[in-house]
Amino acid sequence: MRGSDYIVRRVLYALVTVFVAVSLNFVLFRALSGDAVTALRCKQCSKAFKEAQRRDLGLDEPLWVQYKLYLGNLARFDLGNSVPSEKPVRGELIEPIKNSLPMVALGTLFAIVVGIAVGVIAAWRRGTAVDKGGLYTALAFYSMPTQWLGLMLVFFVAGAVGLPTSGIKTATLGLFTDASTWELFVDRLRHMILPALTLGLVLYGDYALIVRSAMLETLGEDYVLTARAKGLKNRTVVVKHGLRNAMLPIITLVALSLGFIIGGAITVEYVFSYPGLGLLTVESIDKRDFPLLQAIFLLLTLSVIFFNLLADLLYFRFDPRVRT
Amino acid sequence: MRTRNVVGTIAAFAVLTAVVAVLVGTGTAGARTAKKESTGSASSSGVLRIGTVNYIDSLNPFNYIESQAYNSMMMIYPQLVQYSPGYKFQGDWASSWKVSAKGKNWTFKLRPNTTWSDGQPMTAADAAWTINTTVKYKNDATAVVAASLAHVKKAIAVNPTTLVIQYEAPVGNVLAQLEQLFILPQHVWQKYVGTNGKGLKTFHPELHLPIVSGGAYTIEQYEKKGTTAFKPAPNFYGPKSNSQGIALTYYTNSDAVIADLKAGQIDWADQVPFKAVNAVKKAKNVVVTTIPGSETTNITWNSNPVKPKNRELLNPALKRALSMCVDRDQIIDVVFAGYASKVESIVGHISPLENPRLGPTRYDCGAANRMLDQLGLKRGSNGIRVVAATTGKYAQSEHPMTYEIVTPTSTDFNMDRSFAIVKAGFAKLGVKVTQKVGGDATASYAIETGNCSGPVAKQYTGFDIAMWDWVGYLDPDFMLSVVTKAQWCSWSDTGANNPAYDKLYNLQGVTVNPVFRKAIVYKMQKIVYDNFYYTQLTNHEAIDAHAKGWTNFHPELNGYSKLYYTSPRQS
Amino acid sequence: MSLIEPLQNASEDALAEGVQASSRRGFVRANLLGNKQAIFGLAVLAVFLFLAVFGPWIEPYDPLAKTGPVYAPPSSAHWLGTDDFGADMLSLVIAGSRVSLGVGFFAAVVAMVIGGSVGVLSGFFGGKTDTFLMRITDYVLVIPDIPLMIIAAALFGRSLTNIIIIIGIIYWTSTARLIRAQVIAVRERVYVKRARALGAGNSRIVFKHVLPQVAPLLIANTVLMVAVAIFAETYITFLGLGDPSTISWGRLIENAFNGEATINNAWWAIAPPGICVTIVILALTMVGQSVEDGLNPRLKVGHLSVRRFRLRPLNGKLNSG
Repeated sequence: MRGSDYIVRRVLYALVTVFVAVSLNFVLFRALSGDAVTALRCKQCSKAFKEAQRRDLGLDEPLWVQYKLYLGNLARFDLGNSVPSEKPVRGELIEPIKNSLPMVALGTLFAIVVGIAVGVIAAWRRGTAVDKGGLYTALAFYSMPTQWLGLMLVFFVAGAVGLPTSGIKTATLGLFTDASTWELFVDRLRHMILPALTLGLVLYGDYALIVRSAMLETLGEDYVLTARAKGLKNRTVVVKHGLRNAMLPIITLVALSLGFIIGGAITVEYVFSYPGLGLLTVESIDKRDFPLLQAIFLLLTLSVIFFNLLADLLYFRFDPRVRT
Repeated sequence: MRTRNVVGTIAAFAVLTAVVAVLVGTGTAGARTAKKESTGSASSSGVLRIGTVNYIDSLNPFNYIESQAYNSMMMIYPQLVQYSPGYKFQGDWASSWKVSAKGKNWTFKLRPNTTWSDGQPMTAADAAWTINTTVKYKNDATAVVAASLAHVKKAIAVNPTTLVIQYEAPVGNVLAQLEQLFILPQHVWQKYVGTNGKGLKTFHPELHLPIVSGGAYTIEQYEKKGTTAFKPAPNFYGPKSNSQGIALTYYTNSDAVIADLKAGQIDWADQVPFKAVNAVKKAKNVVVTTIPGSETTNITWNSNPVKPKNRELLNPALKRALSMCVDRDQIIDVVFAGYASKVESIVGHISPLENPRLGPTRYDCGAANRMLDQLGLKRGSNGIRVVAATTGKYAQSEHPMTYEIVTPTSTDFNMDRSFAIVKAGFAKLGVKVTQKVGGDATASYAIETGNCSGPVAKQYTGFDIAMWDWVGYLDPDFMLSVVTKAQWCSWSDTGANNPAYDKLYNLQGVTVNPVFRKAIVYKMQKIVYDNFYYTQLTNHEAIDAHAKGWTNFHPELNGYSKLYYTSPRQS
Repeated sequence: MSLIEPLQNASEDALAEGVQASSRRGFVRANLLGNKQAIFGLAVLAVFLFLAVFGPWIEPYDPLAKTGPVYAPPSSAHWLGTDDFGADMLSLVIAGSRVSLGVGFFAAVVAMVIGGSVGVLSGFFGGKTDTFLMRITDYVLVIPDIPLMIIAAALFGRSLTNIIIIIGIIYWTSTARLIRAQVIAVRERVYVKRARALGAGNSRIVFKHVLPQVAPLLIANTVLMVAVAIFAETYITFLGLGDPSTISWGRLIENAFNGEATINNAWWAIAPPGICVTIVILALTMVGQSVEDGLNPRLKVGHLSVRRFRLRPLNGKLNSG
């Protein structure tokens, strides 16, 4: 197959998937949600008030009219209004996304760096105590429920090292007085450390195992054996030949996993009260805020599709076998 | 070399991630600093930092849900009257008031020369506009506020400092109702009225900062799930804020509030979780205050007289027997760590009009079992009692006494534990219950009411028992209203429909003589108690904690007065 | 997904060869008992299984009853102290194993039945059936699992049965793809072709020839799926969406979180349930991996197996069916 054909086919496929996901998203929520407004219990809400709200939201139209409306709105990036607050969903999403991204990025970065380091060392020292120790430690972290690890960090680590366990910044820092950008940045970073660490610890096991596996495979290949035979230094062999070639599966798998991490950070954000997308999800479920939930869900699905496509293209770019 | 490209990509990817992290991390922070420098105040001492688990969802009085929103609006909008520390009415913006001989016209004298925070004059015309607009759209956009203006015909601004409110009939609790009314700046809000008033509901003042305020504070920073800053308004007509400002920070879990209070990161926790009270009391730098609370917990019985299933639960004698085997002392110990007391009346201990002669319901499982035996409810082979088949219009077949109890998730106490204790008690009587978690208040309420847009005959038919709580007010009007037929699909969570009771409710509303009203209100509480619409369980205390350096708190004025924020001072 | 299909298929073919190579009868002995890692895992699982089955006779107290003060520290009367209700933690942890392992097992079975059926149908019939089923699989694969699970639990209600079904319905995709590849390989075998030539019907071929060949792989996959399901249960329960009336490890973690165990310094209410989950998942992983390694000797020398790292559902689920 020609390269451009492959890319076009992948992109088209991703677009079709997006359309299906968008439609499924509509069905899932409209069919199952019942009528969000009947549920609205607010201080002194009258029947008339609720009916007015239902009309405003277009919930009295037949389903297919609602679907057309939904698609049309989506095309204009109009995700509707949140039911309880009536504010545009788009606006409600921005702040949580801005909060989630750096925390998740920090955690993933930690996982990738530690994962690669542990994986390489384990592969290099295959069969030794270092290999086994690294491997089983990784497996143990990987076997811990995320929320529980978070709670343990809160209990045993937070107090000892004086890190905040909740929220995204110190409430009043810079509120009534001036604080330098540096102070604000450090404060944000301090709030990010524990949730990111939790995420990183449960994630790195995955990466370490992949890296170890990929390394062992390449280290077993003929050209590596040849390099060894030529008397090249162990480190040179591992880094130059092993790691470089192991990068291909690693990079694609990392890209694949990225799509799922934000969705996976829900319990972490819940434990640390970190006001990101995950916490928003939990809250909107409790409030039965279906438009908001629908938007979050769509966003997460799209991120998975996007990273899948990215992984596809990366794989294509770097693996000669696909390009024949 | 291809391999080099791969390594390069990884490196680039890592760097990119780091850059994103840094950018996003500083982006918002940087913007905020810039803003702060322009306002620049002296020092951080004197700012009261509050930690809370309730957030401000909106600052639009026509469209909000959370109690924290109500409290905040109280700080930024003028009210005609409010409560004083002894729960007496005192003027807020109004300095005095009088009622006409027939009780239909109320005249309020407003404080002179008041202005909104943007410099515009604040006059009786604003108040009249707020009232008349609310009344005009009471069935639609302004429904949320309209309840506090029940029976109002219109309001007239006689001059900038004189406001007259005309009622259709004399109303007994005018001040208690008007205390819940926030006066809005007409020059800001008028343009949102449009042709049908809908814009009033969708306008979000919190998105147009600084808010045009006429109250004790202005708001220059609003973060729904973060920190909202209340800055003292320089031209406020009333007692000025003792602190340099208020920073209200939202926390999703109360553990963190307590941790930050202990660490000196905040000065005041407006609600301490019951389970944490004893631990917090041990902290050296913290003062814990407990005051009688306005919240009562209950078992809610579906009392819709035409409910189709499990109609034995309409029998007060049966419900009394079940209630007698609920170990309320254990609930108080396990759920409230001792910070609650038993309660019998629906209005709760907060109300000065609580009827003291109800019950009390004793804890006596043996007697309860005998009562159920007398009702002819025999135990089946598995120990579960069986209800015999009935005939007639509401015929039901023989069935075991197994029921579902709906519980909401949004309570400020541990509902699961509360349920477990009720379940254990019922089990001793041969009655089996399972828990159905209904979601937050909204979702749970939907289960109780059924489809409110459907036919009335289907409403309040989908549940048997729930467990919940009510937050009462000083004036019992609201609590008494929730079991009226008129509140179906609005506040009613029992589906009670008792015409004789409803008549009394209307009567107390237009009974101006306090002695007569008290008699009616007592009688109504007895009707609710005797029918077991609810089994009232506990009345828990309100517990807050503040840092030692601060004094002058009025926790009892939460939601009742601007003093709640203006009074605390740092010594 | 598609991008690693070449790799994927390569390793699946290898797996198929592995199955072919080892006789079924000697499978358990050869692949599990000879392997230290697998024996260790099996032993741990046996202990927990024992606790789960005989729990009611072992538990020192009724786990639902208040048998001591709230948050009593560990003592001779309560080895693991008491929780926020005053119930005995040791009894709770034992009782929790019943539900956690049960949910894990049954949800994995649901996933195995759905995934196995889709995989067999798809692989055996090929053509349009295959395309159709694999498209559906692809779409289900891009749905973020944890958010969907939370939403489904919130919408459908919180009974234990619902949770089992929800978990099963979400995690069948990887099984389907794995089994499909295996079935395609088996389908082309000489003896299957001969059976067909002799006039055997589709169902006979599937049950007599295909399923027995696929079974070991299916079982290995199910073992790993049990771990996924136990995890999923703890997440659902932790977010307050579990069955409120049952005791599981997930619920005990949630109770500790909701009951302010941290403020009350009650480490004994937080640590034990999480340690149990960790140990069981670790054991399941060891057993599952050993079976897979046994099926494919090449994996032992570190051949890349995507499947092995797809275990964790929450973070970085390597969604690569």
